[in-house]
Order: sequence, then C-alpha cells, then structure tokens
Amino acid sequence: MTDTKKTQIALDVKGLKKTYHSGTKALRGVDLQIKSGQFFGLLGPNGAGKSTLIHTITGLSMPTKGSAKVFGSDVVDDYKAARMYVGLSPQDINLDWFLTVEQTLDFHGGYYGMRKKERQKRIDELLKIFSLTDKKDSRGMFLSGGMKRRMVIARALMHRPEFLILDEPTAGVDVELRRELWEYVRKINEQGTTILLTTHYIEEAEALCDQIALIDNGKILNQGTAAQLRKIYKAKTLEDVYLKATGKKGEA
Amino acid sequence: MNNVQWVGFYTLLRRECHRFLSIPRQTVGGPLLETFLYISVFGAALGSRISEIDGVSYVVFIIPGLLLMSMIINCYANNSSSLAQQKMLRSIDDQLASPVSNYSLLAAYTLGGFLRASLIVVIAFITASLMVKLPMAHAWIFVLGLVLSGLFFASLGVLAGLIGQTNEQISSYQTFILQPLIFLGGVFYSTNLLPEPFKTLTHFDPIFYMINTVRYGMIGSSDVNPYWSLLSIAAVTVAIIIVNARLFKRGYKLRT
Repeated sequence: MTDTKKTQIALDVKGLKKTYHSGTKALRGVDLQIKSGQFFGLLGPNGAGKSTLIHTITGLSMPTKGSAKVFGSDVVDDYKAARMYVGLSPQDINLDWFLTVEQTLDFHGGYYGMRKKERQKRIDELLKIFSLTDKKDSRGMFLSGGMKRRMVIARALMHRPEFLILDEPTAGVDVELRRELWEYVRKINEQGTTILLTTHYIEEAEALCDQIALIDNGKILNQGTAAQLRKIYKAKTLEDVYLKATGKKGEA
Repeated sequence: MNNVQWVGFYTLLRRECHRFLSIPRQTVGGPLLETFLYISVFGAALGSRISEIDGVSYVVFIIPGLLLMSMIINCYANNSSSLAQQKMLRSIDDQLASPVSNYSLLAAYTLGGFLRASLIVVIAFITASLMVKLPMAHAWIFVLGLVLSGLFFASLGVLAGLIGQTNEQISSYQTFILQPLIFLGGVFYSTNLLPEPFKTLTHFDPIFYMINTVRYGMIGSSDVNPYWSLLSIAAVTVAIIIVNARLFKRGYKLRT
C-alpha cells in the first residue's frame, strides 16, 4: 500500500474505458467526480455501463484505459488502499451458500483486517440494524430473498466503508425493507459516508441523491442536481429527464 | 505484509479450512476410509499371496504410494472444487473486492487443500502404523516428498479451478488424467516388474517419480534416484506456483 494522501474527492474517474474480451465496449471514456459526503445517484438503462463502472472501481473488472481513484488512491496501482474505503452491495446476490449469516460477516471483516473483538461487536450491531439476529446461524442458501438482500447490504457495511456503493439495492425488495434501508443509508450519509447508488426507481434517486449522473452507452450524458437536470432537459420530472436523455421509453 | 494483509490472509485460510472442517465426514472421513480399505484389501488380503518386494512386505511397499495418492487427490480435489464453486456462485467477489493481495488469495487457496490433505495423510499414517510395523529409512525425504508433491497438486487444483468452467469439466480432469497417472505411476507395484515398453513409458509419468521418492523415504529403496526426483518435483512446484501467481495477478478468469 502506498502512502497516498486522502483527498476530499471520494471518487475521481478520468477517461475510463472498458472493452471486454468479447469486444463489447462497456465504458467509452467515463469522467465522473463524487465529492466526499455526497449521496450520488447513477441512472441509466440496462447495459448502460453502470455495473461495469462499479466493477472497475471495486476491482472486479480491470480498466482498459483511464483511471479511477477512491479518496486519492488509484484502484489499480494502489488497490489495497482504495478498496479499504469501499463497501459494495452488488446487484446480484453473491452469498456463499454454505456460510451462515454470522460467518459471512465475520470473514468479510477479516478480509479488511478487522480483529476478532472488533468484528464481533460490528456483527452484533449489523444483525440488529438489519433484523438478522434470529437468522445469524442460518446458511445463505436458506434465507428468503429479502433476507439475502439485507445480508448483502450488511456485509458491505461490515468494515465501516467511507464510500458505500449500492448497485440496485432495492430490486425485488418489499416496501418495509426499502423504507428501513433508506432510513439507515440516509443516517450514515449524514454521518459522513459517501454513497453511490444505482437504481431503477427514479423517484428514489430524486428523493435521496444530492447529485445525479445519467449514463448510457458507456458514457456520462449529464450530471447535476435533480433540479438542474430538469432545467437542462426542460422536463417536468426526473423520469422525463431520464427518458429524454437516454431516448428510452418505459424503462428506467 | 502489513496488519490488514496478515489478518486478511489468515481469514482467507481460515475460510478455506472451515470449508472442509464443516463437512468432515465427506472431506476427511471419506478419503480416510478409502485409504484404509486400500490397505486392508490390497495389503492384507492380496498381500498375503505376494512375496516381498524390495525387501519389505507388499503391504508396507504400497503404503507410501497410498499416502501420496491420498495427498495428491485431496490437494487437487479440494482446491479445484473450492475455487470453481466460489467462481460459479460469484461469492469470490467478496474476496476479490477486498484489500487482500492477489498473492495472499493464491496462497490461501493453495494451502487450504494442502492442509486438508496433510490432515488426512497424518491420520492415515498413524492408522497404518497401528496396522503394520512401518519402517522409516529417510524421514526427511519421506516428508519432503509428500510436502512438495502436495504443494504441486494443490497448485494444480487451483489452476484447474481457475480454468475450469463447470464442475463436470473439473472432475473429468481428475477422472481421466490424474487417476490414471497415479495408478500407472506404481502405487501398487514396482515398475521394475513391468515388461518393456511399459517400463520405459512409466518414466514419462511425473507421479512415478513422486511415488518412488516417498517410497525411498520410507523403505529405503527406489526405482529412480530420489534426490534428482526431489529436485525435479521442487522445480515443477516452483514453476506452477509462478504460473498461478501471474494468472492471479492478471485476474485471469477471476476479474473481467
């Protein structure tokens, strides 16, 4: 880990390109800045490049060109420092079927260097917050869909990340969990955690995010507050903005 | 390695050990029973009809090969299935997105299978010692032969798990390549007893050298020079570790 000085910019992406081995150009030169403490929304249709961008930031994908820095640490050259800042709740549930809820959180904490005592304390906190205490000894494969989603989000928060990435966290989630989740995420955002959210629920993005970027075809189309975007696109709602910007109808 | 890396590596290794220790009947009990049955059937039943080989009873002759076979299969099977399963479930993403280094990840996956196999081999050795009186001509060659061969196949298991796309593909490597090489490498016989060209052909089987090295360590006789064999096993083990390290660094079939 190099001794990179922590910046006030949580995410600084410059000219990021990603071409997969298949030849698919998923990112075609993304430029994006997220300030520390922001609640940032990333909106775009399926296949726009949202998940690829997130994978590149978190090290699940290697960039073809350009750079991405998390609090000043490059995600490739200084990946150990960069990843310490990031917590990822992925779009697809990727729990280990054979680990219990408690073990999943415990191992995750260990990967981030947390000591046993610290891990246990944090696990107890998260189990309580996400109403998983009764399920702590259940294996991942036996949890309901909603429980699995809670689990994935709790895991992302285990090491107290300063930059939390939520990739469509409310897809297929009931109203109760959605409300609880946003309440909690808002709270940690107020406490200083930077949030990057991708969602298909545009009203969620409008209600929660200070800044919103629109992405399509691997490029950022525009960025601003919901009000600024409405003004730019001369639209009444953010949904209209989205449809005008991406040229899509009915898909959000 | 700093604090985060040590704790991270230890956690990865703990996770790999937890994987096989949480289902001990399948991962430890099964292979142990298999080794016990081989010793009983081939050694006690069949061995009573076979005269001494290289100055030892048949059962003692086959035990080093059986221990090595157990080491090889368990190292390979554990690591290939662990990595492949986590790749398929994508639960490996939790590790890949963490600050743990690529080399720590590789080391933990490699050592997971190695530790499982070592546990089985130690118990099998103790069990065999209770059944028959085992000699130990060169203990350090016996141990080093097992350790190096184990590390080689643990690394090969990691490589297979990395390359393999399906469980069927990974188990077919074991069934159609590994098992024949083990059996034809001389676990149950001395290749000196084979007619030509089979005797010469056996010398192209890398496992033949491993078996003979471990056997030399225990009974003091071998079909090949055990020191050259040890050196060769060490060389191929280092080579495969380097290959795996480069693949992990590139994120080959792990990161898109």
